[in-house]
Amino acid sequence: MSAIFPLAFASEEVSLLTAVIMGFLFGFTLERAGFGNARKLAGQFYLHDMTVFKVMFTAILVAMVGIYAFAALGWLDLALLWINPTFLWSQLVGGFLLGAGFIVSGLCPGTAVVSAVSGRVDAMVTFVGVFLGTFLFAVTVDAFPWLERLYHAGSLGTSLLSDLLGMPAPLLAALVVLGAGAAFLGAEWVERRMAGRYPAVENAPTVRPRLKLAVPGALAALALGATFAPAPHRSVPVPEFERMSAGDVARRIIGREPGLVLLDVRGTAAAKEQGLPGAQAASLDSTVVPVLAGLAADQLVVVYDADGKLGALPAGWPLQPRYAVLAGGLAAWRAEVLTPAVARDATSAERALVAEQNQLAAFFSGATVAAPAAAAPPPAAGGGGGGKKKEAGGC
Amino acid sequence: MKPRAYWNPYFAGVMLGLVLFGTFLVAAQGLGATAFPKRLIALWAAGVDAQWTARNPALGSYVAGGVFPLRNWIFVEVIGVMLGGFIGALSAGRFRVAVEKGPRVSVRARLWYALAGGTIMGFAAGLARGCTSGQALSGGATLATGSWLFMLMVFAGGYAVAWFVRRQWV
Repeated sequence: MSAIFPLAFASEEVSLLTAVIMGFLFGFTLERAGFGNARKLAGQFYLHDMTVFKVMFTAILVAMVGIYAFAALGWLDLALLWINPTFLWSQLVGGFLLGAGFIVSGLCPGTAVVSAVSGRVDAMVTFVGVFLGTFLFAVTVDAFPWLERLYHAGSLGTSLLSDLLGMPAPLLAALVVLGAGAAFLGAEWVERRMAGRYPAVENAPTVRPRLKLAVPGALAALALGATFAPAPHRSVPVPEFERMSAGDVARRIIGREPGLVLLDVRGTAAAKEQGLPGAQAASLDSTVVPVLAGLAADQLVVVYDADGKLGALPAGWPLQPRYAVLAGGLAAWRAEVLTPAVARDATSAERALVAEQNQLAAFFSGATVAAPAAAAPPPAAGGGGGGKKKEAGGC
Repeated sequence: MKPRAYWNPYFAGVMLGLVLFGTFLVAAQGLGATAFPKRLIALWAAGVDAQWTARNPALGSYVAGGVFPLRNWIFVEVIGVMLGGFIGALSAGRFRVAVEKGPRVSVRARLWYALAGGTIMGFAAGLARGCTSGQALSGGATLATGSWLFMLMVFAGGYAVAWFVRRQWV
């Protein structure tokens, strides 16, 4: 039985359209709940306005019951949903810090967005702070090993509370609903007790004229800054691009290494000059290379150009398979594999090496090397690899 | 003009829950917010130092394989939040360039608090891999263990610090 949900959209554009729609509804609902007002949100922590708790928990209950009811009816495939992975320590510390930041700014990141577009200057400033903090974390998690350890500490992978407590999820969902019901009664009681303790707040002071000018000015400056910010180049080089010697590549071809793919990226030169046997042509300029689609993570793709000057992985190519660059390119292949030469004063080790190279040369120039594929062209790596591909990378 | 009243919190909660549930049905994931700054930072950082960004534990996954980090469901969703929040505030007569603060704090002090709080939250959302939207709300609805722990700690952190910043609010 296949479930109807989650919907799978044929195109990314349609999926992104749903993102705008759901985001719109999210923002509208938060605004109507009063979450565009920092004072109302802060009221949660001084106990006189429990709106945050009431709205948030009601929403969690509704979505939770919906998810587990649809799953029980077979309408929703839970295995396809993205469930936040559990990292106990980073979530413990991060949660506490986020709560602290929440009461200091009066907003959380999502409500800061809603409040900012409602014209609230404090929310705009908060959102600028969120950017600073995000950057600060990215820099410090890279610089301090202890912070990176904390970031990964207490990993349980995908962990559901119901599994942890050893009970069926629908039962736990029902218990959460009952518990929340009791908590709502408690929240109402607390609000009644605290009523009138603090001055009622309905209208925020409008900012002084000077600041009123400063805000559009700051936003315009930001927009200008963004315009002149360094243009982001979208190609990200692969950190460690493996280089592989011609001899190594040759031995892999002879050994019929499963899943080996040879990729010729010389462009138009490939048509004129013979490349590696079984190699497939690909353009460095195209972001979609059909050969690379669906390769398994451990498959080896040997990329070569004319002279081995290849630097970075082109933009858009999947990181998934293992890439290696043929050291020295096709020139090295010719020199080392096709036409090996021995120097007059070579040592015995060098002579042994050349002897082996001569065997390789014999193989690739079509001579007999005591192999069944003697007269036939060398193994077509692309075709042979295609068959193996399915075994390795089944999804 | 008097602004339109806020919704009853339980009604607002039901509506928010339906939006969240609908998001799981169409997008196979929940709602989020901090992916917006994270992905913008990743884009900018990749422009400055692509290798550093690709190796960065917090940003690397956003630029893996040279993908454009802004082409992402949550990122586009946050743009929708801006539109929805703006239309919501406008139609309720609540749009106003103003500063929300308690009666005992100056506007300037309030804005410094806002900047500090935002910075702490940005750092925290990086560490916890999400904020109140992406972790507490969305993860909470799926009964994810870490998300519930996160949510409890958000309330704990808020109540622990509330007393120290009370002048700002009450």
